[in-house]
Amino acid sequence: MWFFRSPEIVFGEDSLSYLSTLDLKRVVIVTDRYLKESKVISMVKNSLPASAQIVVVGDVPAEPSFDDMLPSLENVRNFSPDWFIAVGGGSSIDTAKILFALYERPDLSVYDITPIVKLNLRKKSRLIAIPTTSGTGSECSWAAVVSERGEKRKNELASKEILPDIAILDPKMVIDLPEEQTRNTATDAIVHAIESYVSSWRNPYSDALAEKAIELITGNLPSVLIKADNIKAREQVHIGASMAGLSFSNSQIGLAHALGHAFGALFKIPHGKSVGIFLPSVVRFNYPYCSDRYDRLNAIFPEDIREKKLDLTLENFLNKIGQPLKIHQMGIDEKNYSNQVETIVELASESTGITTNPRDANREDIRNIAMSVVNLSK
Amino acid sequence: MPKFPSSQWVEEYAKKLNENDAYKDAGKTWEGDLVFVVEKDQSFPKDVYIYLDLYHGECRKAVYAESLDQIPKAAFTYKGPYSNWRRLINKEIDPIQGILTGKFKLEGSMMKIMRYTKAAKEMVNTATMVQTEF
Repeated sequence: MWFFRSPEIVFGEDSLSYLSTLDLKRVVIVTDRYLKESKVISMVKNSLPASAQIVVVGDVPAEPSFDDMLPSLENVRNFSPDWFIAVGGGSSIDTAKILFALYERPDLSVYDITPIVKLNLRKKSRLIAIPTTSGTGSECSWAAVVSERGEKRKNELASKEILPDIAILDPKMVIDLPEEQTRNTATDAIVHAIESYVSSWRNPYSDALAEKAIELITGNLPSVLIKADNIKAREQVHIGASMAGLSFSNSQIGLAHALGHAFGALFKIPHGKSVGIFLPSVVRFNYPYCSDRYDRLNAIFPEDIREKKLDLTLENFLNKIGQPLKIHQMGIDEKNYSNQVETIVELASESTGITTNPRDANREDIRNIAMSVVNLSK
Repeated sequence: MPKFPSSQWVEEYAKKLNENDAYKDAGKTWEGDLVFVVEKDQSFPKDVYIYLDLYHGECRKAVYAESLDQIPKAAFTYKGPYSNWRRLINKEIDPIQGILTGKFKLEGSMMKIMRYTKAAKEMVNTATMVQTEF
């Protein structure tokens, strides 16, 4: 027995207009400080019914801690919204999920947001997610990542009740996404698709979505990186990233995410970059345990970059799109990194991604993979 | 071959757990005791309890009990009907998916236990290493 969970997904050009068809009276828009005065927020506001009252929570920092969210919670409670609309990347969407849960249930602690606690949400409001990046998959997932202030750790909160009710995938929302973020977030999506495809919790639904996600992203991302306003290619990458999100949300992630969360938290590296760097080594480590599956995914990559094995294809692809494969390419001192590898191993060992990886990895295996991004091809 | 659940099975399980390097590695920072509750169902007539005192990758104490009074109160409880335990030990149910699908219930700090999912998996793997009669 297992489940497939998904929000209602509205996609394609002009999908933002769907907002005007909803009965929205009091709306909290949750976004970050860079977007709050931007065109995308104006587009969302202009798509809402004219009578809707709006409050913008616009101070979500990158990778927020719960403490960062607390001041906004009071404003939200005073406003009494009937809808939350998250507009942004993973941090804004995850923050909206938590504000939504704690607005609905003021008696809860953020740490109650776990799969074993029945939250009984949606008594007062509902949640819409409108991603402005193509990669985190947060709009389709029942997880929220919250950093812990003072600790170099990210908590992975999860509950089926924080899955957004509606996800809107309008390519206009990502057309101005800078090249660096386009690359990083799409890399994250590729890692989602590949890890979910070999996860020990994989299932026919997650398989189908992962395969299509790889096809859409790898077939269109290079075009987007050459011509940022190629809206058709943008749309395909956006849909592919969301499919990858649905895939991992319904099957789980693996070792590249376990390492990437630890590495990203320690060195403040953007999430896509921090998971992407480990992916080829993780694929190499897992290969004997899921070669058929990796070979099947490999066959989906565009022919011009495809190698005999998926790990090599990935190195080609990541090179082609300009994603670093070694830490010195990120400007990180290798000695400093090596000194902190034990912390990375420790944190990665505690990640849930370690459990669903197709091959069991002990601390030595994790250490070897962590060190595989050092010392080569300088 | 010890029968599940029984004091012989628990003794054998604790021995295998202490011999399992993968568990030792995954549970090396874990501190806390837990109780497995095997609940009665159509295939098994009564509730029984398996108390485990786990500390830094070692099982310091393992007790089989037919009453809660016979064991200390533990920080964590993992409970489910006998038939589901049988499927778990036969690797037909993943221990975490077992919770998410309602086949097992976990009581205790989820935040803490979520950091030790690998150790939980190894605990189930160890159970499969015990030659078990049902």
